[in-house]
Amino acid sequence: MEIIGQTLALVLVGIGTFFSILGVLGLMRLPDVYTRLHAAGKVGVFGAVFLAGATALIIPSLFGKAVILMVLLVIAGPVVSHALASAAYRMGIAVKRAIRDDLADERKRRLTVKDSTTNHPV
Amino acid sequence: MLAYLRLALICWLIYLAVTANLEPSNLIVGLLIGLAIAAILKPVSQPLSLGRLPGALFNLARYTVWLGIDIIRNGVRVARIVLDPRLPIRPGIIAIPSGMKTELGVALSAHAITVTPGEQVVEIGDDGTMYTHCLDAVSSAAGAEEAQRKRRAMLESIFE
Repeated sequence: MEIIGQTLALVLVGIGTFFSILGVLGLMRLPDVYTRLHAAGKVGVFGAVFLAGATALIIPSLFGKAVILMVLLVIAGPVVSHALASAAYRMGIAVKRAIRDDLADERKRRLTVKDSTTNHPV
Repeated sequence: MLAYLRLALICWLIYLAVTANLEPSNLIVGLLIGLAIAAILKPVSQPLSLGRLPGALFNLARYTVWLGIDIIRNGVRVARIVLDPRLPIRPGIIAIPSGMKTELGVALSAHAITVTPGEQVVEIGDDGTMYTHCLDAVSSAAGAEEAQRKRRAMLESIFE
């Protein structure tokens, strides 16, 4: 039983390390803040989640802590990266190499609606 | 009052699981922290029907497994993109209608999308439309509405 747990933990350490490295690699290679958030904010979080899972298997006394850490990471990780992406967009940082931007179209539409209502008072 | 105590109890149990220490002093400290957090958060009272709990928990487990599979599949996809020397990204922001009626539903849909590698909600419109930044906008846009329909059915099976 212990051998199964340790082997599984070893596999999880491997996957976690792979995703952590991937997060850093993506952070360096991707072109702008939004794409980099994909790498750092999520792929990186999975690295941490898998490593916490390995901890839970190897050290039984830390099981509760590790599981709660995993749950909190999965809940809080997306919230953080959404907040950063939203703030970046509101600051007007461009989406590089974008092939489409529905949000920009929507904002333009909203702005023109606003303009037409403010410029022509009833 | 009931919602307040319920939240305090949940916080207390989480604290005890994290500290893994059942000494009386630790029990009291945890209880105080739980009460303080509940006081700050001001929970909204929501009717809790115990009869629905087993079904909701089962659906929650099913949703978690489905989300986990989705995360792993997309994780591999993003790994392939990042490791490819040509870096074949087609980034873009696409609009995905959430179709959810409640704010909680929209928030959970946005969470499910954002927790998946390669897709991330940047902004949520007043009508619940999720403006999602994708690493590969073409393939994401193709499957987005179908995925949201499935996600919505699962979330509604948990909360309704």
